[in-house]
Amino acid sequence: MIRIGKPRNARSKRALAERDPKLIENQKTTLILRGTSASETIQSVLTDLHALKKPASIKFSKKNDIHPFDDHSGFDFLSGKNDASLVVLGSHSKKRPHNLTVARTFDHKVLDMLEFGVDEKTYKSLEAFKEVEKPRVGMKPLLLFSGAAWEQSDQMKRVRNFWMDFFRGENVKAVDVEGLQYVLSFLAAEEGKVHIRGSMIRTKRSGQKLPRVEVEETGPRLDLTVRREQEAQPEMWKEAIKTPFKQVTKTKKNISTDIIGDKIGRIHTGKQDLSKLQSRKMKGLKKRDIDHMDMDDATLVDEEEAAPKRARRS
Amino acid sequence: MSTTAAAAAAAKREKLVVTVDKPIPLEFDMGHLTAFDNNPLDPELYRTNREACLTAAMRDGAQALINQVLTVLPLKATADGIFAELPDPVTTLPREKPIPKDREPTKWELFAKKKGIKAKKKDGKLVYDEEKQEWVPKWGYKGKNKEAEAQWLVEVDDKKAHSSHCEKPRQPQRNTVSGRLRRLFAAPKEGHVALCFDRGQRG
Repeated sequence: MIRIGKPRNARSKRALAERDPKLIENQKTTLILRGTSASETIQSVLTDLHALKKPASIKFSKKNDIHPFDDHSGFDFLSGKNDASLVVLGSHSKKRPHNLTVARTFDHKVLDMLEFGVDEKTYKSLEAFKEVEKPRVGMKPLLLFSGAAWEQSDQMKRVRNFWMDFFRGENVKAVDVEGLQYVLSFLAAEEGKVHIRGSMIRTKRSGQKLPRVEVEETGPRLDLTVRREQEAQPEMWKEAIKTPFKQVTKTKKNISTDIIGDKIGRIHTGKQDLSKLQSRKMKGLKKRDIDHMDMDDATLVDEEEAAPKRARRS
Repeated sequence: MSTTAAAAAAAKREKLVVTVDKPIPLEFDMGHLTAFDNNPLDPELYRTNREACLTAAMRDGAQALINQVLTVLPLKATADGIFAELPDPVTTLPREKPIPKDREPTKWELFAKKKGIKAKKKDGKLVYDEEKQEWVPKWGYKGKNKEAEAQWLVEVDDKKAHSSHCEKPRQPQRNTVSGRLRRLFAAPKEGHVALCFDRGQRG
């Protein structure tokens, strides 16, 4: 691990605090690397992934002699150094042509790894779709996992989970509907094969409430074959999927703030007893007088009540 | 002529299908803006014209997603545009770093908790002066404690009429000349003789 001393100034202190574990995490940063040998195709794939993941992406252009399935210490090191938790390595060899290795890290240690072969013949980069508009930087993509193969095996489920994690982008509470223009589809008809297609959404008026959606392919067009895989160790996975207890803040009732920023409180007083309300005092309005007036059928009761009182007084 | 064209256009528009009907209903995880369509892709089309097959599946998925956003999610119109509020995500995705641990309480914090000591609340240096209708410092220059000095007329307490205290109400009595003298010649306590003597010499 990288040795980090005590921060000497406020700026480095802030930078270190940014790297600290957080309850609500930052967006995962992607680190894009190339191996010692990388074909043009795989380099283009890396450029595409970088373009889609910007601004939370770092792309290195120097060659890295990393063979993650033999020894992933290189991934651990670079992940820690760059505070990146998604690592992509593109390489090309006779045994594994156009090879794309992707890994997730937890606490700067490799959690799980997947290896894909890119089909050179069908590959089309973002650049290749010239006329079509490109997704803007930082645009949150809509993700679509289509096909029966996704549910067929555990491996495919893990692949799905990985790509979802890779492209989910920033954690947000709300999205601008206007900004939902790019859809990334992961289609799988048979096991071990994934077709990735990116396209822009075009909406048409349909004469109904909802618009008619059409898609226009804008790339990248990637056909992947699953090669090797390193699963996450169960205990590490368990640690990684822990969710912190939600801190539920009790909303204080009846307190609100108006546009100016003044605090407004609403209080409830009990219902006023109007019978006890003291009105203007007048002889003619005295209560007792009213009682005396309709004594016709209450005479008996009154006398009974009055009798013990009199006895007490005497 | 134009009316028939408009009618035809309207009819055409009505033909556009905006719903997605699939044998297996789609699942959504709108927290991640994701749709899961587990219906198999058309195998015949997949073999003969792959791109058409994929595009069809993609279009349906996109339509379903947009429909979901516009119908299910709560929409909020603001000055910056219409925002769709996202629910909490359903799919478990691993964290990047472990959950932060609570900081260990310091020795003082433990002690304070045991003793029930709470931090004293600062209540500020200023007080509101009703007469001046403004905030003045509690003490010091133009302070609230200097009020007595600024009075042009002070009521004299008969009992204390002869002490110098009433001339300078703020000054502690022990620092006045009479106060010092009184202390100096007061009957010394045992053991304090030398000190008193010393003072007498100096004064």
